[in-house]
Amino acid sequence: MTLKELYETIDGDYEQAIHVLKIEKLLDKHIRKVEGHNLVEKLVAAEATHDPAQIFDSAHAMKGVYANLGLTGLSAAAAKIADEFRPGNSRTMSDEQVAEKVHEIEEMFQKTLEGIKAYTGT
Amino acid sequence: MNQVQQEYPRLVLIVDDQEINRDAVEIALEMNRLGDKYICIFAENGKEALELINEHISELSMVILDLMMPVMNGFEVLEIMSRDRQYRHIPVIVMTADDTAELKALELGADDFITKASDASDIICARVHRIIELYERKQIMTDTESDPITGLLSRNYFFVHANRMFHSKQDTPMDAVVVNIEQFHTINAVNGRGFGDRVLRELGTEIQAILSEKDGFMGIASRFDADRFAIFCLSQEDYAPILDRLQKKVDSISPTVSIHIRMGVKKFQQGMEPIILFDQARAACSLVRGNYQAPLMVYNEEMRRKEEFNQRLLNDLNTALEEKQFLVYYQPKFDIQCNPPRLKSAEALVRWKHPEFGLVSPGDFVPLFEGNGLISVVDNFVWGEAARQIAKWRDRYDFTLPVSVNLSRADIFDPTIVDRLIHLVEDNGLSFQDIKVEVTESAYADDAQKMLDLIRKLREVGFEVEMDDFGSGYSSLNMLSSMPIDVLKMDMKFVRNIEENETDMRLVNVVLDIARYLNLRVVAEGVEKEGQLKLLKDAGCDLVQGYFFSRPLPGDEFEKLIENEVRLNRKD
Repeated sequence: MTLKELYETIDGDYEQAIHVLKIEKLLDKHIRKVEGHNLVEKLVAAEATHDPAQIFDSAHAMKGVYANLGLTGLSAAAAKIADEFRPGNSRTMSDEQVAEKVHEIEEMFQKTLEGIKAYTGT
Repeated sequence: MNQVQQEYPRLVLIVDDQEINRDAVEIALEMNRLGDKYICIFAENGKEALELINEHISELSMVILDLMMPVMNGFEVLEIMSRDRQYRHIPVIVMTADDTAELKALELGADDFITKASDASDIICARVHRIIELYERKQIMTDTESDPITGLLSRNYFFVHANRMFHSKQDTPMDAVVVNIEQFHTINAVNGRGFGDRVLRELGTEIQAILSEKDGFMGIASRFDADRFAIFCLSQEDYAPILDRLQKKVDSISPTVSIHIRMGVKKFQQGMEPIILFDQARAACSLVRGNYQAPLMVYNEEMRRKEEFNQRLLNDLNTALEEKQFLVYYQPKFDIQCNPPRLKSAEALVRWKHPEFGLVSPGDFVPLFEGNGLISVVDNFVWGEAARQIAKWRDRYDFTLPVSVNLSRADIFDPTIVDRLIHLVEDNGLSFQDIKVEVTESAYADDAQKMLDLIRKLREVGFEVEMDDFGSGYSSLNMLSSMPIDVLKMDMKFVRNIEENETDMRLVNVVLDIARYLNLRVVAEGVEKEGQLKLLKDAGCDLVQGYFFSRPLPGDEFEKLIENEVRLNRKD
């Protein structure tokens, strides 16, 4: 499987990723590192404990990292959570809706992870 | 405006807790279309970033800073950088997509911002290029206008401002003040240049503080060069409190390093331009060099006259040599253990018969020429005259009177000195015992090893070496025991009061005892009275020089002493 094929599988934006990271080798390096990311885990844990600062930090980090990787779905979902918990912003979602959104992110991440595992052969 | 490619790689620090973000910026910079070259270093949080900034402070061209990070966030970094002027030359671009954060970052001193992944890499590169260029241009202008170490005005800009103040406020009394650090080169050499720069910075900051906070002390300041500071300020009654304050400041820098400053002041003089005022303040400051007890000097009329006189002497040196205005006088040295005392040798001493000033004292021109490195020319003349005189007396009386010549400090550092003295002896058909070399003990303090090497070489050749003015400066037993000299010339200060003052006589006895122990002969200088002569003879002093026997005499007058000695020799 090529990187392009991977991006088709996981519904990512290969062009955006290559635009940011310029060379496939660098994109390949960071795609392989996604499996080791604990960003989603941190977000889930923060949501479970209703820790708004930690939720914001995790979502904010996810938004940037996944945007750079062209994982637009994950990045956009994380951006929503980050905006929701950005210090100074008024909350617009209920806790249940946040939990649902986080769950959605978790599932999206699992699907992405499966695709990546198929690409890396792990 | 077209952007011009940079000629050399710039060092950029990328600070972000996410590796992919750091890599994304690095690759954008690496593959920029302008062809700029960047070397990137990385930090994962603000704390690491500050460590790297401090490590590379002089070569860092930019910091690209994430705001949300663990340990220390980007805002904290910006706050620290904005508080400390040493970071002001480093531009910072923040990476954020948050409008509120952008504003806060700009308020804290960030120069621009980029919106992480969504910014096109070309835009990132263009912004980095533009800001580095702007800062470097600004730096060039700042360096021209101000001293990078102290932040005070550069010399040129200082005079631009001082002249402007002088012309626009001719009636406002403004004084010129020069501040120097004693032995600053030694402070640098011993404690490192970083420490030296810190001293300069602290002193500059204190001067600036004085100028800005004290009522009525309005003015401007500059670091002219090295450790020389200049202040042009409203005339003050007394500068001692200012000097004290600056001294206290440098005292507080290190408990283990002793730093002394001195100050020269030229008070306001109607119509006198700043450049002249500062020349005179500098001259006043030079006069208190090494004077730790009284490190403040205000330029006065007597100094002006002295300066003009010195300048005339410097200007007239070449003419004086050409027209043979320098005269060599000879003062005899007598062996007082013989009865009657016998003429043993003489010291060649220079006099200047100036056509306008009359006989100029060596005390006026020798230190002056020593300070300007011109003394060697005069010494050379004296040595040549003395050597020719010895040969002349030998030929006339069949009697060789050894003559000692003085070596100045400058001669001691001249690598050709031994060869020059050898040629002098050979060219005049003399032997090496006919010329004795007098070195002053103060040269030992300048460079003991160099002096030791020179004395060894001179004695290997066959010259006898005399230590002149022993006891006039910082004499030390260490110097006496380490210098392989033949004769000790006891300074006239020892002898002056030996008749009246028992302690002085005891001191003379101590010097004579030490000399005997070290197997050195002693010449007592400045003997003027019979009583002094008797005491010295009884104490076992070998030789005596002074007005009791004879003042320094021109060569032809000295011949009477030689004729007398020749007669005594015949009787023997």
